[in-house]
Amino acid sequence: MMAIRELKVCLLGDTGVGKSSIVCRFVQDHFDHNISPTIGASFMTKTVPCGNELHKFLIWDTAGQERFHSLAPMYYRGSAAAVIVYDITKQDSFHTLKKWVKELKEHGPENIVMAIAGNKCDLSDIREVPMKDAKEYAETIGAIVVETSAKNAVNIEELFQGISRQIPPLDSHENGNNGAIKLGKQTTQMNRRCC
Amino acid sequence: MADNLPSEFDVAVIGTGLPESIIAAACSRSGQRVLHVDSRSYYGGNWASFSFSGLLSWIKEKQEKTEVSEESEDWRKLILETEEAISLSKKDTTIQHVEDVCYISQDSAEDIEEAGALSKLPDLGGSDTNETAQQSGKGCLALDKQLGTKGCEMSPETIASNDRECTPEGEDTEVISERESSYDATSGHSTLETEKTENASTAEVSNLEPKKITYSQIVKEGRRFNIDLVSKVLYSQGLLIDLLIKSNVSRYAEFKNATRILVFREGKVEQVPCSRADVFNSKQLTMIEKRMLMKFLTFCLEYEQHPDEYQDYKDCTFSKYLKSQKLTPNLQHFILHSIAMVSESDSSTTDGLKATKKFLHCLGRYGNTPFLFPLYGQGEISQCFCRMCAVFGGTYCLRHSIQCLVVDKESGRCKAIIDHFGQRISANYFVVEDSYLSEETCTNVCYRQISRAVLITDQSVLKTQSDQQISVLTVPPVEPGQPVVCVIELCSSTMTCMKGTYLVHLTCSSTKTAKEDLEPVIQKLFILNDEKETESENGGGLEKPRVLWAVYFNMRDSAGIDRNSYDSLPPNVYICSGPDCALGNDYAVKQAETIFQEMFPKEEFCPPPPNPEDIVYDGDGTQPEDPGFSISPEPKAEPLPEESSNIENKVTEEHNE
Ligand SMILES: Cc1cc2nc3c(=O)[nH]c(=O)nc-3n(C[C@H](O)[C@H](O)[C@@H](O)COP(=O)(O)OP(=O)(O)OC[C@H]3O[C@@H](n4cnc5c(N)ncnc54)[C@H](O)[C@@H]3O)c2cc1C
Ligand SMILES: Nc1nc2c(ncn2[C@@H]2O[C@H](COP(=O)(O)OP(=O)(O)OP(=O)(O)O)[C@@H](O)[C@H]2O)c(=O)[nH]1
Ligand SMILES: [Mg+2]
Repeated sequence: MMAIRELKVCLLGDTGVGKSSIVCRFVQDHFDHNISPTIGASFMTKTVPCGNELHKFLIWDTAGQERFHSLAPMYYRGSAAAVIVYDITKQDSFHTLKKWVKELKEHGPENIVMAIAGNKCDLSDIREVPMKDAKEYAETIGAIVVETSAKNAVNIEELFQGISRQIPPLDSHENGNNGAIKLGKQTTQMNRRCC
Repeated sequence: MADNLPSEFDVAVIGTGLPESIIAAACSRSGQRVLHVDSRSYYGGNWASFSFSGLLSWIKEKQEKTEVSEESEDWRKLILETEEAISLSKKDTTIQHVEDVCYISQDSAEDIEEAGALSKLPDLGGSDTNETAQQSGKGCLALDKQLGTKGCEMSPETIASNDRECTPEGEDTEVISERESSYDATSGHSTLETEKTENASTAEVSNLEPKKITYSQIVKEGRRFNIDLVSKVLYSQGLLIDLLIKSNVSRYAEFKNATRILVFREGKVEQVPCSRADVFNSKQLTMIEKRMLMKFLTFCLEYEQHPDEYQDYKDCTFSKYLKSQKLTPNLQHFILHSIAMVSESDSSTTDGLKATKKFLHCLGRYGNTPFLFPLYGQGEISQCFCRMCAVFGGTYCLRHSIQCLVVDKESGRCKAIIDHFGQRISANYFVVEDSYLSEETCTNVCYRQISRAVLITDQSVLKTQSDQQISVLTVPPVEPGQPVVCVIELCSSTMTCMKGTYLVHLTCSSTKTAKEDLEPVIQKLFILNDEKETESENGGGLEKPRVLWAVYFNMRDSAGIDRNSYDSLPPNVYICSGPDCALGNDYAVKQAETIFQEMFPKEEFCPPPPNPEDIVYDGDGTQPEDPGFSISPEPKAEPLPEESSNIENKVTEEHNE
């Protein structure tokens, strides 16, 4: 029986770079040209094998709070990894990438695995950001970097596999949640004794 | 900022405190287009929590007597002849008498920066546009009435130098690694260790000298702190827990159960036995006392069925009633102060019985005390509701001040707000947090005050085998008429303070300034100065914990204000109050529900989100009439047999129309 590890992954990046499309492609292998600016997608999950573990990604989308730079610190809490997305056809979106990294360092957990996705690589004829720039930048911050196309399903799986590989193996004595309580319907295991 | 803010919404919510955030979530959930703004750069208003450097910036801001620059009144031009403007407050006056004191040497702290961190206060978004700079300037709230503030003995400048500008990335990483090594050296184990291992290893450690924590360590590890402006816990059968579960907002947060209830009696801190098992195992109670207590508490659980038992005492205080029962003074004290947690002088017997019953009912749901505490602090809760609101399409803008409400003269209803850019944003309903109202609007309002202190200490007030205790302690008044002080001591596993320290919150309703109200209690429980007196052979565990750093402040308590005492409010403007003095959050939840029901009497309040399994992520936002019949897309990965019953590959896509 393989152990399942829940890994929270949060998405960052300017509006319209394709964050939701990447998740949608990864989780459902589906792409929609007319995807509405993120309203919805609270989080999605997908489980993939990694070595002798199963990684269950809980992928959080920004819910649009990034649009006016109002992401709540709770968005980053407990994230194992962050995917920071830019659009290779928009220099601006690469420029702001650095701000997202900074914000992540400010609010995110330490040791968070960072993955940079240069999305929309199917549009490389109108490219504005050279791959080299992204590679160089990623190196300075120790992040994974890959160019993706949510549209053509390029490197999406690879992106998450890359993250999986960077996640340190589970410590034998680590039980993950440190005794924290998640509320919900399932938390009624404490049976009340009758008198 | 790529997007322009739309100028039409259904509901505009001003302030991101708990009640406003719940209302925003509820409205958005029921399909309203919600705009949710806050003039500050952080979520939560007076419900916020801060890292250490964030708190220092907050303190500094509240201590500065900045005069509000004469704001241009350009927006007046946007008001039509048929309209009237109600201007909103330009500065926050809800926090007073802010005073911070450092009790440990700060010599080496000058060049230290919080690792990897920027202050939360200015420019949180990291946007570097001039626009934002202006915004935060305008959005910044200052305080003028700093009566009695003696100034701080510690200058925040020394460490808050990194407030405004960000450290280059390279430096960040450097500091982080430095922090990590020093962290490991002091704590001896990593954060990821389970509580069990912690307990085991600290059993040895606690026999040694308590590690000396330096000020520069606190600064460096500043991000480990999540310091709440309000100190509250969640009753495990309380309204907030119910709402979190019902609305599914609970999935955004994690909690810890308070591990013990403490009482301060005859100069000593003791643990109150809560569960039946505790009562039986208690060494403080005699056999007879145990029976008395069991009998009495069992009665309290169903006191309504036995009205004859307390009929004669209905109009007396609960403490009188307890005296009349067969209970030793010891037990009376436990029940009054730590179980019922009601006032000795003015709580009725029925209040006391009701509170005792509530306490007992909450026991055992998640652990053996009735209280839950959110990881990373109370400030997370309002953010969780905001996320819910955003998930259903709510629009979020921090650092966004609103200059005025625009009222239609004829109908008397509010029709729009004008923001600091002079943009006019219309809506049908307006929810405004009390602190945003101008002095004119509040002239006739009489506010109470809350006295608060937050301490960083080096040991628990009651040391045990485990150093990971979350304790709730009530300190009865020394003299009648003085306030009861509620103390919540948090350990590092609550993610609110660094390893090796405790975060202690003290709260009472104000009779004087926070310092005057709370310092006497602090002196009883802690050592305040840096003297070495404790090194005298006090022996095992008797010495008090040392306060390393402290802040005091008074906060306006705007709960329970009658709507009519605000001057000329349009009927479609609803006022939310700031935090109240109570230990739980019931007031905020009730207020949010009441306001929501007034706005939308036919809508359900925060119903559970549609079952994720039933929703098809099909991008165009259309949803099947009966979601029950649609089938969620097949998972791509091979589903595990035992997981197929779970929500796997789920898409919590919620429609936007
Ligand atoms: C003196 C006293 C008398 C009471 N009398 C009554 C009464 O007559 N009737 C009544 O309904 N309530 C009574 N209560 C309230 C009752 O204690 C609580 O409702 C609740 O504690 C019931 O759970 P319990 O008795 O199973 O747990 P307790 O024996 O009270 O133990 C408390 C704690 O032990 C642990 N624990 C207990 N069971 C489990 C489990 N299955 N799995 C994991 N951990 C567990 C948990 O941490 C739990 O919270 C009384 C409480 C007190 C203090
Ligand atoms: N050509 C191309 N278009 C893409 C790709 N990924 C996304 N898009 C398009 O880019 C637009 C924005 O995609 P989203 O996934 O909504 O982007 P987002 O980052 O989630 O945006 P917000 O939710 O508004 O923050 C949509 O019209 C997508 O169809 C891609 O790989 N190639
Ligand atoms: Mg999106």
